Amino acid sequence: MSANTGIAGSANSRVAGTATRLAGLQRAFIAIVVVVLVMAVANLFPETSNNFFSEANFINVLTSASIFLILAMGETVVLIAGGVDLSIGGMMALSGVVTILLLNAGVPIPIAIVIALILGLAVGSINAFISVYQRAEPFIITIGMGIVLTGAGQQLTNARPVSSQVPGFADLANLKILGSVPVLGSVPVLGSVPVLVFVMLAVLATIYFVLRNTSFGRNVYAIGGDPEVAKYSGINVRRTKAATYLICGLLAALGGVMLASQLNSASSIAGEDTALYVVCAVVVGGTSVAGGVGGAIKSTIGLLLLGLLTNGFNMLKIDSYVSYLSTLFLGLVIVSILWLDSYGRKRRRETV
Amino acid sequence: MSAATAPVEGRSIPGTIGNFLRDNPIYVAIVGLVVVTSIVEPRFLTPSNFNNIILSAGVLIFAALGMTFVIMAGFLDLSIGGIISLVAVVTVTMIDQVGQGPAILIGLTVGLICGLINSGLILSSGALTQAESLFITFGMSLVYGAVALMYVQGATQFLTYSETDISIFNAINSGKIGPISVFTAMAIVATVILLIIERRTYMGRAVVLTGGNKTAARLAGVPISRTIVMIYAISGLLSAVGAVVLVSRVTLADPTMGTPYMTQAILAVVIGGTALTGGRGSVLWTVIGVFLLVLLNNCLNLLGVSSYVQFMVWGVILIIVIWLDTVKQARVRG
Repeated sequence: MSANTGIAGSANSRVAGTATRLAGLQRAFIAIVVVVLVMAVANLFPETSNNFFSEANFINVLTSASIFLILAMGETVVLIAGGVDLSIGGMMALSGVVTILLLNAGVPIPIAIVIALILGLAVGSINAFISVYQRAEPFIITIGMGIVLTGAGQQLTNARPVSSQVPGFADLANLKILGSVPVLGSVPVLGSVPVLVFVMLAVLATIYFVLRNTSFGRNVYAIGGDPEVAKYSGINVRRTKAATYLICGLLAALGGVMLASQLNSASSIAGEDTALYVVCAVVVGGTSVAGGVGGAIKSTIGLLLLGLLTNGFNMLKIDSYVSYLSTLFLGLVIVSILWLDSYGRKRRRETV
Repeated sequence: MSAATAPVEGRSIPGTIGNFLRDNPIYVAIVGLVVVTSIVEPRFLTPSNFNNIILSAGVLIFAALGMTFVIMAGFLDLSIGGIISLVAVVTVTMIDQVGQGPAILIGLTVGLICGLINSGLILSSGALTQAESLFITFGMSLVYGAVALMYVQGATQFLTYSETDISIFNAINSGKIGPISVFTAMAIVATVILLIIERRTYMGRAVVLTGGNKTAARLAGVPISRTIVMIYAISGLLSAVGAVVLVSRVTLADPTMGTPYMTQAILAVVIGGTALTGGRGSVLWTVIGVFLLVLLNNCLNLLGVSSYVQFMVWGVILIIVIWLDTVKQARVRG
């Protein structure tokens, strides 16, 4: 990889870029394979045999990754453009709280959702204004925004969870939509997949398409790669970068609505650590914090890795404090993959 | 100081009151709030309230002092919450096994080692940006926090249950040296040492130069690697001191008790005026920042503002400080 970048020429750098991208994809992917293999080996022994490979657990992993995935898609776009948004946790929590409060106040479901999504766009545009148009460092600006949003959610609910009194809202995420369809419903896994997973897949497909097949998507990569070059190529850098924050805010709000529907309740502290977790997962998947590199599929793999890791550990039930162990491993995996990410960049700096 | 920062100093130090107001609106706003509170709320100007203020600054000041050099050098340390929790539980559980003095020494060593691990990871990976250091130390904060939880299996450890002497902890909590309390003296000592490092030593200059421009600093022969080791070691060690003070204060150690200090330490440093982009700042500013933050919380409490709104105020201040600093920098550069 580093040998390739040493040779000058655009063709070679494209080859090197592809190699880097593959390497980034492989790291997380290999890690997933390792997790699955460990679980397969564990299942050979009676003491450690578990339900990891059951249909229910498959659905469980998919569902619990879905909310994070919706958030991660927005974060991916922002990161590729060279920004970062750490307010998504607070946004998710607040949008859930607002949706539930509106529903309980008698607002119809679609209007409540639209208001929550508009809130996401509004927060996204404040982030965009300060960090893109005013050129302030987005890390701390969005951490601050996350604190403000969490505080707003706590103020609205007195820091207590609020549950929805509207029947039917829970169906938005939990209805097993294909279960009632004659043919598809009888297929083993498909019949018990909740709507949430389909929403997630729709978001994933949209972001995948937008990043790869639209001029906006190509501009996002160009800006992340080198904002100066992008500017001289005639790309409206500011507007494109601002749009990435709007997308991120919108998707974080959508994630909050879906989470509220999934649990039929909302909590103002639901977003604690979510933003850092999601960003780490996205970076673990191979999207660079330095911008210009990444993709929807990579982020999905990164998130699935972290999700499977936690799930696998909980399944193994090694000892009584297994949940601490899974946090420990989560931390170690995040550190080691980010270490590799930085190290790869260092090697490239040194060879050029 | 580097050329980029010279115009800022030139403008603000001999500058008029107007310039000071323009450059430090958060200082002014908080001082204004303090004045308003002391007028409308008679409880503010009582000795017991001032005691409260100094008490609540006690732990935060160590964590924030440690964070100052890290931020001045253009990095971040999100792991101090995990370090504080880990040091607290290690110290308290060690008291009965090795006695209080060695237990504190072990605690401080653990903090120092955590800091060295952070710097080792950052150095070996060649991470040079704030973002990289942010994510690596976030991962490590999960690791330290999980180790703390595993070490005590999630249980709170009570200092007062110790069977051996805990007089050092009692002294830190309530002892006095002449007119000032022990931990105030500790904070003053820590500040003076750091101030000497900052103003009078080569490494202090290296911190500022590294934060100013890493490439230029390296080309000029500034020992960046040693700087990184030093800033994270200081951050780890001072967090550990903060943990010992915290344990003395609340007489227990909880494996998650360090979590809130991460945000507060960054906030105090930033309110003090140290630039988050690195290269500009001072330990003294952080001391001011800590007191402003504590005063702010105290005033809002006395005025009956809910803790959630206080939380929002923190966030808003963080945003405004960084935003104004960016605008100011843009104006200086022209």
